[in-house]
Amino acid sequence: MNPRPRGTAVPSAFTRLLETLRPDLVRFAFWLARDRAVAEDVVQETLIRAWKSRDELKDTAAARPWLLTIVRREHARLYERKRLPTVDVEQVEALGDPALASDGDAGLEDLRRAIMQLPDEYREPLVMQVLGGLSTTEIAAELKLTQPAVLTRLFRARNRLRVIYGLAPAEDAE
Amino acid sequence: MSNEFNCAHARLAIGGDPHEQSPELSAHLATCAACTRFRSETLALDARLRAAFELSLAEFRKPARQASPARRFALAASVILALTLGAGVWLLNPQPALAGDVLEHIKHESASWDAHEILTASQLTEVLRVAGVQFDSSMPVLYAMACPFHGRRVPHLVVQTADGPLTVMLLAHEKVAGRVEFAEGGYRGILLPVGEGSVAVLARGGDVTDVVAAKLVSGVRW
Repeated sequence: MNPRPRGTAVPSAFTRLLETLRPDLVRFAFWLARDRAVAEDVVQETLIRAWKSRDELKDTAAARPWLLTIVRREHARLYERKRLPTVDVEQVEALGDPALASDGDAGLEDLRRAIMQLPDEYREPLVMQVLGGLSTTEIAAELKLTQPAVLTRLFRARNRLRVIYGLAPAEDAE
Repeated sequence: MSNEFNCAHARLAIGGDPHEQSPELSAHLATCAACTRFRSETLALDARLRAAFELSLAEFRKPARQASPARRFALAASVILALTLGAGVWLLNPQPALAGDVLEHIKHESASWDAHEILTASQLTEVLRVAGVQFDSSMPVLYAMACPFHGRRVPHLVVQTADGPLTVMLLAHEKVAGRVEFAEGGYRGILLPVGEGSVAVLARGGDVTDVVAAKLVSGVRW
């Protein structure tokens, strides 16, 4: 192994890991919060908390779900602590956030807006499952719900999005 | 719903997690074309959902908004001494991880170099307030963020100087024993001790001169 030249900087492995995963965390926080500034705040708090708790992470392969869990908890904590008003669905749509735009794929943009308009109880588990890669068991544990309750919420979330995607919704015994 | 696994059960299971297939669902799909089609449609929808969640983050950077108490310390005269004694000398890096972490952070926030508009005093003050430090810059500040770094918020600034734009990170809680120079990937920087903390000054595609570094550091108060 060649020694690093004098004056060459060596980032710590943990810093590299955080920086690598940061985009995923920002996306995850944005879909939870539906507000960029709040998402940035949540991720900043997450990185600080992760740094302080870095000894708890024994396996770097588990870093992503570990960090996403911190993001979700920080998001929930932020609303509890600051009593932030929840984002109004119509207001979100009216924002026309350029982050929702896609290059010439109007269908994708419509889908993003439809996800934005899902109620929190449906959007949160969907984000955790599709973007976060969490299993329904993990989501149930994190949201303190039963697994059937999580499955029902995910089913209803997808059922609403099916219409946007041009599919007939499934029958739902709500 | 009855206890027998029927279409309603299948739709609920598929809609809840289209990638999961229990033995009951598999058995049902083997005999139900409608639910098989429903599953195919849902898998296709999920592929679109994954694409939808992958937002471009190009415009996500916004100034932080939270406050933390400010602390003040006088700037140690040793800073200037360290600058003078260390001029032009490549030292064996006593804090390689710190310099590396600074570089890593700046590389991942490379859009900061593209800022061209001078920030207002209130924008800069807000970022400094969040980080709990003071910085009286005589030079225009083009970018300011209170970034998470080693478990704290630190000001990450881009300052327009006579040598071009320089990145300045005010590391109130990162003590270094002496001046440290480092370079990597087109970046050249120095870490300078300032009281109980340090200041990192970096140039991209150029050098950080001691005159400018001293000027920047002289404006720092913890």
